[in-house]
Amino acid sequence: MTAATTRAAAGPPAVAGDVLVVEGLVHRYGDLVAVDDVSFRIAPGETFGLLGPNGAGKTTTISMVAGLVPAHEGAVTVTGRSMARDPVAAKAHLGLVPQELAIYPELTARENLTFFGRLQRMRGKELDRRVAEVLELIGLEERAKDLTKEYSGGMKRRLNIGVGLLHRPALLILDEPTVGVDPQSRNAILESVEALAAEGVAVLYTTHYMEEAERLCDRIAVVDAGRLQAEGTRDELVRLTGGVDHVRLSGAGDIGAAAAALRSLPTVVEVAADRSALTLTVRDAARAVAHLVTAATAAGMSLDGVEVSRPDLESVFLHLTGKALRD
Amino acid sequence: MRQLLVMTAADLRQRLRDRTVLIFGLLVPLGLMLVFNLVFGGSDDVELRPVVVAVSAPAGDAFAAVVLDAVESVDAVDVTVTRGDPVEVAARTRSGDADLGVAVPQGFTAALQAGGSTEVDITEGGEAGLETDIVVSVVDGVVARLHAASVAARAGAVAGLPADRLEGLAARAAEGPDITLVPGAAADEQLSPAGAVVAGQAGLFLLFTVGFGVLGLLAEREQGTLDRLRSMPIRPGLVVAAKALAGFVLGVLATAVLLVAGALLFDVGFGSPAGVAVLVVVAVAAATSLTFVVVRVARTAEQANVAQSILALVLGVAGGAFFPLSATGPVGVLLDLNPVAALIRGLGITAGGGGLTDLAGPVTTLLGFALVATLLSGLVPDRGAAR
Repeated sequence: MTAATTRAAAGPPAVAGDVLVVEGLVHRYGDLVAVDDVSFRIAPGETFGLLGPNGAGKTTTISMVAGLVPAHEGAVTVTGRSMARDPVAAKAHLGLVPQELAIYPELTARENLTFFGRLQRMRGKELDRRVAEVLELIGLEERAKDLTKEYSGGMKRRLNIGVGLLHRPALLILDEPTVGVDPQSRNAILESVEALAAEGVAVLYTTHYMEEAERLCDRIAVVDAGRLQAEGTRDELVRLTGGVDHVRLSGAGDIGAAAAALRSLPTVVEVAADRSALTLTVRDAARAVAHLVTAATAAGMSLDGVEVSRPDLESVFLHLTGKALRD
Repeated sequence: MRQLLVMTAADLRQRLRDRTVLIFGLLVPLGLMLVFNLVFGGSDDVELRPVVVAVSAPAGDAFAAVVLDAVESVDAVDVTVTRGDPVEVAARTRSGDADLGVAVPQGFTAALQAGGSTEVDITEGGEAGLETDIVVSVVDGVVARLHAASVAARAGAVAGLPADRLEGLAARAAEGPDITLVPGAAADEQLSPAGAVVAGQAGLFLLFTVGFGVLGLLAEREQGTLDRLRSMPIRPGLVVAAKALAGFVLGVLATAVLLVAGALLFDVGFGSPAGVAVLVVVAVAAATSLTFVVVRVARTAEQANVAQSILALVLGVAGGAFFPLSATGPVGVLLDLNPVAALIRGLGITAGGGGLTDLAGPVTTLLGFALVATLLSGLVPDRGAAR
């Protein structure tokens, strides 16, 4: 029985320790350091997110993890196999879902899956069975015999993911898999990732969509300028912001006087004013908001709206890098 | 090995499905062969028309009789000789009754023997052409030999040879050199016009066909499948090897089909199948190697396709795919190193009856080209990968 057969019959192989260990990765493009001393680990069944804007170094990082580009420094180990010393063995345990639709337009969905399965050393009935399972999983069994160039964008995206998980990898790497996907397909993709993690697959997920990272990822690394700025669970990251909330008071009247009055309150950390609103950074907004409204109104501002927002990953990114996630 | 075959088979399946190879590798070259053969066809089957030659030869003049006999004995052209005096000869030629007039002057033999000057008047009529040129060249040759015989006899006389030796010497000189012309190696490298068209188009489109396989590497890079392949448990270099093998298979198949179809359609023979097979294989290897240089230099698939098309056309034209091209010196050497030219030259050798041993020149050229291009592709930075 081949290793692939074992995996097909029993799901991802049992891994004693972490499925992926990344230590001190560095990659340079000339003088530009694209990835600078990046380290993280992913355990079986864990979904690890790399969150950062375009150009942050996420794709270069996963390219090194997948063995597509060499690490100038550092090491990648997949299920205990070194990507540098034994890339063939390490790659046998990972599945890559690139950001591009990495499928062949002149082949059908079944032919695409069968082709990539054979390259993963799957054979015969085991391969046929697994192809059928994946076609059902991604909802393409009805269109399995159609050339993929005739598929919609969402169908191609689902097949793109299907190829990555065909051989039941211990580590699934998804590089921004929902870019350009309609909301319905996006939800289906996210559900698939959650199901895979539940089956014990370790998932490395890159995105610049904060909502996806919050929904999917057990741990998140915030990446900017090639470096991991912070890493932890969502709550751990949010605590880095100091536990402050944001309150937006919009309206008219004497906004300048209202800003001055609010700055004097002990719960207010920061006040930013524009012509029609005040944005406040405050501690424990739930308890302070009534005082804030009273003080602003007393100072001559007539309010027509109040918004309270708790800190999220966007806030974390802003706090860590000084810029918005989608900049 | 199994993974290599899996990748090559998938690649071939896609190339055949998108029909580009069928169109540019087979239909277009076959169409061009048809057009070129319609335009240039039949130029090797020149039919010589019969000609009338009016001859004036003084009666009793021995050398004049030799000239007359030579005209009547021309093999290549059907010649009808009409006799008359010089005035009649000129009149017939002017009127068109004769295509050529030959007037041997009075005292022709005596003048030659005395070493004096004499002239044979030749007048071409209005319908003169290749046929009369042949007759003129025959007359010219006979007169030259008679002159040589006279010179030899006079030289012998000056040297004091006896009369019987002088006669033998003169007769020998008049017979001309004892040389037999036998069609030989030079003629073996000549293809018929139809054969040259078929060979040329096969050589030209070989460069396109191989490109469809190898340039797929850039398409894979652009559509992201190259990254996916490289993330799989396969040996480094397997993807490139699969593309090379796919291009090679496409090249061999397309060229073989073109040569066979061209041979059947235009009644062309290329000789030894083994020789032709060797030529096709090494020519495809050379074309495949060249395409890898293009893959390294081009940044995108579009750039690569343009570069490949330009290279194919330049090498095709310089190699004689459309019309024979020759030069001397360094340019001539450069033309000889062209893979298309080498393929055509090799097919000329096999068509002329040459075997494997006669193909050393073109085969060496093609293998050398493949080797140099392969080395070059290893040295040139991969601009596409650096994007």
